[in-house]
Amino acid sequence: MDGQWPVLAMSGEHDLSTAPELRARLHELGDGNAVIVDLDQTTFVDSSILGVLVGGLRRSRERNTPFGLVLSDHAHPAIRRIFELTGLHDVFPIFASRADAQAGLSGTATAS
Amino acid sequence: MTGQTADVALVVPAIPDSIAVIRQTVSGICEALGADSRTIGDIKLAATEACTNVVLHAYAGQEPGTIELDAHVGYDELQLLVRDHGNGMTPSPLAEGLGLGLPLIAALTTSLTIVEAEGGGTEVSMTFALRDQPTDP
Repeated sequence: MDGQWPVLAMSGEHDLSTAPELRARLHELGDGNAVIVDLDQTTFVDSSILGVLVGGLRRSRERNTPFGLVLSDHAHPAIRRIFELTGLHDVFPIFASRADAQAGLSGTATAS
Repeated sequence: MTGQTADVALVVPAIPDSIAVIRQTVSGICEALGADSRTIGDIKLAATEACTNVVLHAYAGQEPGTIELDAHVGYDELQLLVRDHGNGMTPSPLAEGLGLGLPLIAALTTSLTIVEAEGGGTEVSMTFALRDQPTDP
């Protein structure tokens, strides 16, 4: 990983139909590692996807590995909106860029 | 508006892949009505959450049935009816989730009613303002 945490970049629209794949990818990436999920190219997520992300955050906390989201000022307004409506923007570590996420999460654990 | 002929009606199988079909249909209706992007996003999200509830809960323990969408267009509002003919919206022990679906719908609509559908099942009626509401002076 060259000292970098793995990044799962999502794009397009995601709902119940893609939630199982996202859950599987998070399980795979989070197996002993920190995980960064980049939502900047995502145009829609629903509560199914939020549920998967909360599950990923919960597992990371149980394993004491970092978990963060990338959501920049250029992210789709619908993504910011659902995080604000649900209050989950206060629950996740959210970073403005992948670089910020790498740097911010490096302060909480050591990259492999 | 319930009981009137819908301006747009759609019936799809109650499976996860159908949710995007309804979402894109709703998005197209909103764009045709000149709704702004935030309103379109809100209506897409509410429709998605209502359909997700049908897929997860309505037909639990039986063969998946259908999701019925009726759209009624008013002067400055849009009413969406999402209907199933399943067991009603009882929580499924197999379903995962945060329980955010209905609270999100309630936050995104100007009115929300949930009634038993004719012939059994559940009908969720969601009304959305298409334009900013005038404020009292």
